[in-house]
Amino acid sequence: MTEPPVFRHAEPVMGTVFSFAIRRPGDTPGLGDVLRAVLARLHRIDEVFSTYRPDSQISRLERAELTLAQCDPEVAEVLARCREVAAETDGWFTDRPAGRLDPSGWVKGWAVEEASRALAAAGWTDHSVTGGGDVQTSGGPWRIGIAHPLRPGTLLTVLTGHDFAVATSGTAERGPHILDPHTGRPATGLASLTLTGRRLSRTDAWATAAFAMGPSRALAWAATRPGTEALAVLPDGTTRHTPGLSAYLAPGQH
Amino acid sequence: MRRAVVTGTATVAGIVLLLSLKPHDGPGNSTVAKVISSGTSPSAAASAPSSPSTATGSGSSPAAAPSPSASAASRVVTGNAIDTRYGPVQVRVTLDSGKITKVDVLQYPAESHRDREINTYALPELNQEALAAQNARIDAVSGATYTSDGYTRSLQSALDQAGLT
Amino acid sequence: MISLIRRSLPSVALAAIGVGAAGVLALWWRDTPAIRGAAGWLTGAGQITGLLAGYAAPVLLLLMARIPLLERELGADRLARWHARGGRWMVGLVLAHLLTITWGYALTDGRGLLAEGVRLVFDYPEMLKATLGTLLLLGVGAVSAAAARRRLSYELWYYLHLATYLAVALAFGHQLANGAQLGDGPGRALWYLLYLGTAALLGWYRLLVPFRHDRRHRLRVAEIRPEGPGVVSVFLTGRRLDELHAEAGQFFRLQFQTPGLRWAANPYSLSAPPHPDFLRFTVKSLGSHSAALARLPLGTRVLAEGPYGAFTARRLTTDRTTPGLPARTAAAPARVPAMAGAGLPGSGPYAPLPVRGRRRGGPPVLLLGAGVGITPLRALFETLPGEVTLVQRARRPEDVLFRAELAAVATARGARVHELLGSRAEVGDLGRALARLVPGLARHEVFLCGPDALTAEAVRSLRAAGVRRIHHESFSF
Repeated sequence: MTEPPVFRHAEPVMGTVFSFAIRRPGDTPGLGDVLRAVLARLHRIDEVFSTYRPDSQISRLERAELTLAQCDPEVAEVLARCREVAAETDGWFTDRPAGRLDPSGWVKGWAVEEASRALAAAGWTDHSVTGGGDVQTSGGPWRIGIAHPLRPGTLLTVLTGHDFAVATSGTAERGPHILDPHTGRPATGLASLTLTGRRLSRTDAWATAAFAMGPSRALAWAATRPGTEALAVLPDGTTRHTPGLSAYLAPGQH
Repeated sequence: MRRAVVTGTATVAGIVLLLSLKPHDGPGNSTVAKVISSGTSPSAAASAPSSPSTATGSGSSPAAAPSPSASAASRVVTGNAIDTRYGPVQVRVTLDSGKITKVDVLQYPAESHRDREINTYALPELNQEALAAQNARIDAVSGATYTSDGYTRSLQSALDQAGLT
Repeated sequence: MISLIRRSLPSVALAAIGVGAAGVLALWWRDTPAIRGAAGWLTGAGQITGLLAGYAAPVLLLLMARIPLLERELGADRLARWHARGGRWMVGLVLAHLLTITWGYALTDGRGLLAEGVRLVFDYPEMLKATLGTLLLLGVGAVSAAAARRRLSYELWYYLHLATYLAVALAFGHQLANGAQLGDGPGRALWYLLYLGTAALLGWYRLLVPFRHDRRHRLRVAEIRPEGPGVVSVFLTGRRLDELHAEAGQFFRLQFQTPGLRWAANPYSLSAPPHPDFLRFTVKSLGSHSAALARLPLGTRVLAEGPYGAFTARRLTTDRTTPGLPARTAAAPARVPAMAGAGLPGSGPYAPLPVRGRRRGGPPVLLLGAGVGITPLRALFETLPGEVTLVQRARRPEDVLFRAELAAVATARGARVHELLGSRAEVGDLGRALARLVPGLARHEVFLCGPDALTAEAVRSLRAAGVRRIHHESFSF
């Protein structure tokens, strides 16, 4: 089976690596320029929003060295989106985990989505962008492997689809760092939670929120979101998923 | 008392000097190759090391060299050593006709208790099931573990370099 | 030439210690490819301070191991000084090590400082022992600090200080288990060598040698003789005492095998020239320990280490142009026929006295002492050849020791003895006061022994008065 060749690029930014896979039939005139612009945007987002940089606008906003009006307009927009998601998730998503301003739960997925949007706008509509373990695809079909949270190096399953986003939240990263915003203590009911959806920004934020909800609530809540499916792994290794997830699974897969 | 202050200051100065004389980029300084397209060998272009505290990548221009994929018989592709906060992680992938048949972890910190402790949440052990992933011919990996910082990135980088579809 | 080498031995010893430290740092250098980020800096600093502290510990113990070469050439007071200063530095290193390692690890792992600390203590190999050892060490450090020490009796401080052996032993394991540079290869081998070597030397010189001494010489308390208010002389008898090769001016470390005194090996100067039949020590009851000596049962076994000390006639300058007596012969006690009848002799002099009058070659000698410092001078007064004057400095007449004995010795050998009484204000400048007592003061070679305050002042004013050669031994260990 011949498939169109894939152009790949990997870019370290925001403390992780962003991977681009772009399918193109032949030559790629102008792809270089487009990619350059996209990467510049990613770095700019990092400069503005990184909580690891004391001189980023977010950090300075937190320290009250800047007012919201003095920041880039995107900052206000991001914070507004965070508030929306907080409302949608009944407070399970917050841009103030442990009291400190940190919209990374939104920014991560949003950055990937922005990159994908820019590529599509330039005409490269068959691509997949991965950043920090979350994926935004355009066109397809794209086959996305889900890393097994308890058996590192193995895959849990493979999800295949068109124009979809995959976001996974879990505890293996630096210990239980996703806090239950209601108790302030780490959420430990799940090993990992994967959500699929249309756009990564929301899907990623929802995945973070749903993870904190714990197994039973997470799947129930995800089921109420149209266009969203969920796959959960419990600490003992058992998996549960919303019924609609089977649309992403190849026949024969469980 | 004065003597104590002098020796104390001298000791601190000496330690700082010693530390400053070492290079501050890690070994296997993570130069992520810009992959051209499938079938060609990786070209190394410099980019800055990534770490959460100084997350800057200097985006050099991607070189688009469009050559169609030539599925060679057997190839070995080494992913770049990705600098995680715990040390370098590097993966090597053997390909037969475009399919991964073997994955070796070349570099990971493992010597002391400290290293092993870090490994428990930073580095997975590869096994044959990872190959099954390739047999499933995935395009990308979604995962929540820190392995996405070390292992997955390295595997991803190997995939990227091999230009596999 | 030989004396040049001998005089530079302290510098050589310090240089050797420095070379060792450099070697330890080289281990770190070799093993560290890069320093990444703040966590890297902190962890690196933690490794360096840890390595230096782990090196310092056995070195400090070696200084106190009573190795004869070191005791002879460096002197017990210098060794004690180095040990005290090095000990303070080491405690600082240990604290720095604790802090930087915990902080560095915490940054790497993304944990809080306290959580990381708890994890370090409970999850890492050998760390419970190391923590205990560190607490012990810090405790000893706190207790040894000058402010605390003033409030403790010497004996209590001494026993607490012994806990450092335990602390070092407890901390050894974690260095090998967690020290990145000590995991294998030369580092590990070096560490074993250093620690086991030190343990061996300690065992040899602090346990085995006194034990063999005891088997060979069988020192026992023969008599406790009051010399005056708060002053007693302790006579020890034993076998083959001449094989000890003790000299006047030297001291022994004595461990009286009686409950309460068994583990303290405190230094005591010979207060009379060593005699084939007995050794005499004179003690002022300064602490509960010395007071306990006055009540020692006769026949108590005594473990002795020594003789130590370079405060002897060997220091005397001889005029090399004149074939005078080599210092060694001049100081050796002549064979005295054993006293007939039971019991020990009365007060001194005990040995045949040196020839009257001027010694061929060499300047006249002034022995200047105060308080307990008069003890070794009393022994030297009997045996130093040539023209000798002894001046005892005391506040009040009742503080003067050995008055009758010193007078007897002075008469017997034609030496002079003086007492310089009064407070510091009354005496005024020491040099000038001495010049009045001792004609030609500047020509004299001075042996000085007493409390630190006196010695410091004396050295200053003697030099101001033109005295060029001053020997002194500090008693503050």
